[in-house]
This record gives sequence, C-alpha cells and structure tokens, in this order.
Amino acid sequence: MTLKKGAAESRSVCLEMKNIVKRFPRVLANNNINIKLYEGEILALLGENGAGKSTLMNVLYGLYRPTSGEIFLDGQEVVFQSPKDAISKGLGMVHQHFMLVDNLTVTENIILGNEPGKGGVIDYKTARAEVKALSEKYHLGVDPDAVIENISVGLQQRVEILKALYRKAKILILDEPTAVLTPQEVDDLFKVVKTLVETGVSIIIITHKLEEVKEISDRVYILRRGEITGVHSTPDVTKPMLANEMVGREVVLTVTREPKKLTGDPTFIIQDLVVKSDNGIEALKKLSLDIRPGEIVGIAGVDGNGQTELAEAIRGLRKVEAGQVLFQGQDVTGSSTRDIIRKKMGYVPSDRHRFGLVLPFSIAENIAMGYHTDPPNIRGINMNFRYMDEEAQRLVEAFDIRTPGTNVPAGNLSGGNQQKVILAREFSHEPEFLLVSQPTRGLDVGAIEYIHSQILNMREKNVAILLISLELEEIFALSDRILVLYEGEIVKQFRPEETNETEVGLFMTGGKGAENE
Amino acid sequence: MNNLRIGKETLLLAATVVLAVIGLILYVAAYFWGFFLMAGAAVSYYFSLRIKNGREAAWEDVRGFLKKLSIPAIGIVVAIVFGGLIMLLTGYNPLKAFRALFYGGFVRNWHVSILNATPLIFTGLSIAFAFNAGLFNIGAEGQYYIGLMASTWLGLRLGLPPIIVIPFIFVVAGALAAAYNAVPAFLKVKTGAHEVITTMMFAHIARYMSPIFIRANGGDPATSTHAYVTDVIGENTWLPMFRDFLPRANYRLHIGILIAIATAVFVHYILYKTKFGFEIRAVGENKDAARAQGISIGVNVFRALLFAGFLAGLSGVTEVLGLSHKMFENLNAGYGWNGISVALLAGNNPLGVIFTAILWGALDAGGQYMTRTTQTPNSIVEIIKGVILFLIVARYIYTVLGGKLKKRRSAAVKEAK
Repeated sequence: MTLKKGAAESRSVCLEMKNIVKRFPRVLANNNINIKLYEGEILALLGENGAGKSTLMNVLYGLYRPTSGEIFLDGQEVVFQSPKDAISKGLGMVHQHFMLVDNLTVTENIILGNEPGKGGVIDYKTARAEVKALSEKYHLGVDPDAVIENISVGLQQRVEILKALYRKAKILILDEPTAVLTPQEVDDLFKVVKTLVETGVSIIIITHKLEEVKEISDRVYILRRGEITGVHSTPDVTKPMLANEMVGREVVLTVTREPKKLTGDPTFIIQDLVVKSDNGIEALKKLSLDIRPGEIVGIAGVDGNGQTELAEAIRGLRKVEAGQVLFQGQDVTGSSTRDIIRKKMGYVPSDRHRFGLVLPFSIAENIAMGYHTDPPNIRGINMNFRYMDEEAQRLVEAFDIRTPGTNVPAGNLSGGNQQKVILAREFSHEPEFLLVSQPTRGLDVGAIEYIHSQILNMREKNVAILLISLELEEIFALSDRILVLYEGEIVKQFRPEETNETEVGLFMTGGKGAENE
Repeated sequence: MNNLRIGKETLLLAATVVLAVIGLILYVAAYFWGFFLMAGAAVSYYFSLRIKNGREAAWEDVRGFLKKLSIPAIGIVVAIVFGGLIMLLTGYNPLKAFRALFYGGFVRNWHVSILNATPLIFTGLSIAFAFNAGLFNIGAEGQYYIGLMASTWLGLRLGLPPIIVIPFIFVVAGALAAAYNAVPAFLKVKTGAHEVITTMMFAHIARYMSPIFIRANGGDPATSTHAYVTDVIGENTWLPMFRDFLPRANYRLHIGILIAIATAVFVHYILYKTKFGFEIRAVGENKDAARAQGISIGVNVFRALLFAGFLAGLSGVTEVLGLSHKMFENLNAGYGWNGISVALLAGNNPLGVIFTAILWGALDAGGQYMTRTTQTPNSIVEIIKGVILFLIVARYIYTVLGGKLKKRRSAAVKEAK
C-alpha cells in the first residue's frame, strides 16, 4: 500500500490549507501552516501533545475559525462556520473521545442529527438497511442493531467511522485513533483505513506515535510548536529522523537496559491466584509468577485478559478467591491497601486520572496521599503541611516535574508531569516491590523516555518490578522476562532477547496457546 | 533579629484574634462600632502576613480574597436589581422597599437576623461538610428535629449547674442526631442506598415523630396554654444572653451565634488541617484514587455522615436552649432545607457558611420588616434568594467550564514555550 515517491503528486489535490494562523489569547497555536492532501492518500500529522495538531484539524472541521488563512476543497475556497458546514462539504472527523450515546443502537447513533424520513417520523428501516450496506461495503463488521454500551471500543470507533461515511465523507480525519485500542484492534483499524482509501476516501491521521506513521501513512507532516517542521514521503524517513524533527532534539527511542545477573530469592511470589471480575467470572485462573530483586517482569497481553484484576488483587483492592501473594516471604494475600503501602509495595496505576491522582488536590497533597497517616506527614491529628511542601519541593526537583509550585492542583499539569508526580510518590518511599501498570499511556516521546529511565533506575536499586503494559514495545524495552497473559492465565514465558513482537503477539491472541499446552 | 521578627508576628496574630473576637461580639450584639475593631483585626492580620511571607505575597493574598468575594457580591447585586425590576413592574416602590429591607435586616432588626442565622450556620456546616465528602446530607432537617427533641428532653430533666449541663446537652444531643444519621450512613456503606433518599425519609420520620414527643412531654393542661407545647426547660440549661454583659443588646439575643461561629472555625480546621479532613476531601474529590492509596471509602463516608448529623443536631440545641426554651410543633421548621442554600452559596466552605447564613437570616428578617412597613410582599425576598442561588449554580457551571478552558490554554502555553 505504500506509494512510490511521486505517485501521490500525480493525483489531484483534494484539500489545501494555506497560511493557516490560529491565535488564542496567549498562544499562537498554528503559525502559518500549509498543508496539501491528495486524493486517496493517507496523510499523517505527527507532533507531540500540544504541538497544534488538534487545533489545526479543529480549524479544518469548522470547530474553530482561523485567525487568518484559507481552506480550499477541490480548488474551491470554503469557509466553515461550524462542523455542520464541514460535514456538508464531505468532511468527517472521528474524535479521540467518541461522541456516541451509550444506550442507543448503532443505527440510532449513526442517524442521530441526520434522521431520514419525513414529518417527524423516522424511517428506521431504510436507515438500518443503509447502515448495513455501508458496513458490508467497507468490511466494518458492525451490527446495526447492537447497543453501543455492549460493543468493544474498537467497534465503537468503527461506528464513528460509519457515521462519517453515512454523511458521505470524502475526507476523514482520525484524531489519535489508536490511543484507546488494543494491538489487534489497531491492526483491524489499519485494514479498515486501507479499504477506505481504496474506495477513494482521503484520510488524515493525527498521531504522536512514530510506529503508526511508518506503518500506515503515505506522507507525513511534522508539527512542532505550531509550525510545520518537516514534510516527507513516509518511505524516505526513518523513525529516529521523525523523532528528532518532532521533539527538536536527539531522542533515545529505546532506553538501554544493562544486562544484569540476578541474585537472591524472589521478593514477590504469586501462587495459583484466582480472582473474579466485576461480573463474577474468573478473571485470573490459578495464575503464578515470581519476581526477583532487580528484575522487571513484563506482563504482555491484550486488554481485558485479567490485567486490571491482577493489579487490583495485588494492591488489595479486589478480593482474592484462592491462591497466595507472598512478599518477602510474608503472606500478604487479602491485606488491606494501607498495609500493602506500609510494607513498601508501590503502585503506579494504569489510569492516572481515576486511580492515581486527586486532580483538585495540590502536588504536595497528592505526593503525601497514601503516606499521610504516618509521620513526618502527620503531627498528632494534624497534617504537617510544612513538611509536605518541603518534601514535594524536593521531589519536584528530583523528578523534573514542570510546575510553577507545589501548591498547584495536579489537574493543571500536563499528562507527563502528572505521571511524574505519581512516580515521585511511589518511587521515593524506598519500595521493595513496584507494580507499574501502563506507565506511559498517552504520553509523548520525551516523557516516555524519562519514565522508562526512572523505572530502570529502580531496577538498579534492586526493586522487584511487575510491569503491566498493552504496548509491546514498552514490554520489550524494559522487561528482563516477558509473561504472556491470555484469558487469565500465563500461557508463555519468554526472555526478550530470544523472541520478537510477532511471536509474543501470537500468544497474546491465543493463536499459539493450545499448541503449547 | 530573627527572634524579634517572630515576636512581632505572634504579637500581631494575637492582636488579630483579640480584636476580631471582641469586635465580633460587640457587632453581633448591635454595637455596630465593633466593626472598627474587626477592621483593625483585618489590618493587623495583613501586617502579620506581610512579616511572614513578604509584601508581595501578602498583597497577592488580599487580592485573591477580594477576587473570591467579588463573585458572590456580583451575584447579590444582580439579584437585587432583578428584584427591583419585578417590584417596578408590579407597582411597588423598589427604593423604599429596599431601604426597609436593608434597614430592617442589618440595623433595626439585626438581632432577628442573628437569631435566624444561628441555626442556619449549623445546618449549613452540616451540609457543606458532607458535600466535601461527596455526599448530599439533604436530611439535615431531620437531624435538626432530633437535636430539638433531645435537648428539650434533657433540658427538662437535668438539674446540674449551667457550666456542666449546657456543654453536656450540646454533646449528647449532637451525638444522638449523629446516631440518627448512622442508619442512612450504614445503609450507604453496606448497600449503597443513596443518602439523598434515606436521609430525606429520615427527616420526615423525625419531623412527624415530634408531635408525639411533644405530647409526651407536654405540660399540665391546667397551666399550659396549648396542648402541643412541651414544658419549659430548666433555667439552668438556658444559654447566656448577650444582655447579661452588654446592656444594650436585645433581650432575646443569646450567645448561640458565638458557638456557631466557633464551630465553623472548628469545622474549617478539621477539614483543612487534620488527617480526618484530608481523607474526607480525598474521598469527596476522587474516591477511586483515595481507595488505591489505602483510604477507606466506607469509613470516611460513615464518619462524614455522622459528623454532618452531629452538626445539624447542634442547630436544634441552640434553638431550644437559646431561644424557645421549650418545644412546640413545627418549631422554626425549614432550617435544614435552607441550610442547603446556605452551603451552596458558600461554595461548601465552612467559613463562608457564616456569612451566607447571616445574609440569609438578614434577608428573612429584613423581608418581614419590609412587608410590615411598606406592604411589599415578602415573596420578593424569596425571589431574590432564588436568583442569588441560581447565579451561584450558574457560576459553578461557568467556573467548571472556564477552568477546563484555562487548563487547555495553559497546557498549550507550556508546550509552546
């Protein structure tokens, strides 16, 4: 599907944005941006968080009016007052956060705001048939009668795509489409994208993942600080080149993990652990593993195979049905979360907004949380705010947290800095064991590099680390040992140097599990 | 040099406290020159801040405070203008009416405003505290009734000296109201039953239990004028009056308001300085994150509802021991419900509750005076209250949205640098 150089140029330009400037009260979000989109190509818009990608696409989609600049569709100048105008001119956008009504069906969601029929009576029959036909045409495999809340995130995304196609979109904008998807769903999405392009739809993908740019796009524009810093035909560039242009400096894409001889007995052991999920099904079926001091054990797996339940069981947030968790020889099965914290077992949760931080709390308060019951964070029954501030100040410097002060609410920080606050809290209490779940979800290259190096730093300090991640790249970069989790069981164990992502991926999807047993 | 500086700061803080307390007592008892003492306290506090944090930071604090104050102030002004327009349209003279409203509420019948505000501070604190834990203690009215009944019952029976019996009744009646709220709290923790439903039902139960209680503790029909009134509680349990030490104060004005203000300061301290408050706020803001850091949601929900019940119960105690000295049916009903407005208006800040409760109390007192002297219907006051509340709720929406926009913008600024 990759185009030869020059092939794209021979096609006609279907969209052109000329000298786009978008100025917010204190920010110049887009500075004189020029972009061309050729018919039937996949264009990637690459940049770090806040580089101005989304602003640019919102300008294109009619959500923002540009401060200056023009937009041409098929050579005709257009001015969009609202997304409605943009949609009527054949633009479609799939947002990072889906705009679907959970308790309506696929068909109902698709026709919402554009209902067929007359006199206030909706013609469901035609609509349903049309949705079905579209789904079949583009091999989307969406059931028109399914209720949104019952289908997977990947399918929900396809409903969004269908919604755009139903409105006759010729240009489709996908905003960070893979952020919420599992590796398999990403593959499926890319197949869909390729089918779409073959039928003449042009696609713009907004992303900060180099991998995706290489895999799917024909051409790539790189944005940094609101300006275009590079335009390339994708086959002509390498990932390091892209990274450097995106960040503006040399970036280490994969941190180096020094090989290391492991000594000592395992710090952390799980034996035959059985845990149920929220709906009463066994999510972990007699899972066993052990981690030695200074070892990083990576759990690879597709989301929903028991990762959440494993993390919650270890943290004391979920009931253990059977089996044992041993830490430094002590049985900590069923211990309270508070005891687990006191025993120096750290936790970096996968969803930092929901489980990691209290966003309206200050950085100092967030750093103290969990350790707020013990001196010196507390004096008598009073919180020792003076100490908490001093400690936070120390950690802000040690972990390079970019903030105007320690009294700033955590919610005001960028994602990378929020994650650093969590690391500061969990890593600064001399843990002997760390449970790190999806530490770099949604972060950009610079932040990922920093967080990975901090995790490896803890490995140097002989901490036993359990890493749960949906990103295989991350698993490979950090783990000393890889365990593949599939349907609540460890189906395979690897050393990273003896395997590759494809092989692990096969076990993750159950492709090789049976043959192995 | 360093010692001297600390000495100066402590001195200024001590002066602040003394001036504020004396000024407040005088002002509340309608000695309005007490205001100058309170202003003096504010100045001396400002200078202590200046010594502690430097001139810039102190000025920044003052500006921040004024900014915070400006939003409700604007809301109140808008509501008054709106009320004026309605009066114009319906043929009343807004200038005369508002003069009567403010003269009545803040000067002439100031003691009525204070008497209205006292129980409102307690119920407002109760609801504000629960809100901080993410709970809506809508049934404060019921806990208020428990406070009324418990203090009447104890007041009728205890013959100990005031210095012992008054604190005792406060603690025991408050604890009984807390215990009354323990049932909804337990249901919330164990079964997830929503506190809005359970506490509200419990409020109705308490309220309709009160006639039975009153009849059971009613006076001898020969001496009592009304069957639905209890006997008068012992004089040893009556709260001291301002008149006891300030001769010009109104004869009905009791020191309940001082207890209420002290309680507000105490609740503020609990919420923002102690471990208990820290956990309550963490659970209120994000219970998932709190739980993942070892903070028990159940324990804190239970504690918060109990403490909220305790506070609402105290409002009943001050009514009986301070003002009515007996209980009758529907005794000043509605403080629990009005406490919701008071808490919302104060943004659930315990210190803010003091001011919003006094404002609410003054609007009620002034409204009555206005109706008596200008024949303007009292419903104007209710309209003004409604508009103020509406604007406050709208402000929440605005700040939530505004905060999000600001966040996005500042993130963009950060990246752009």
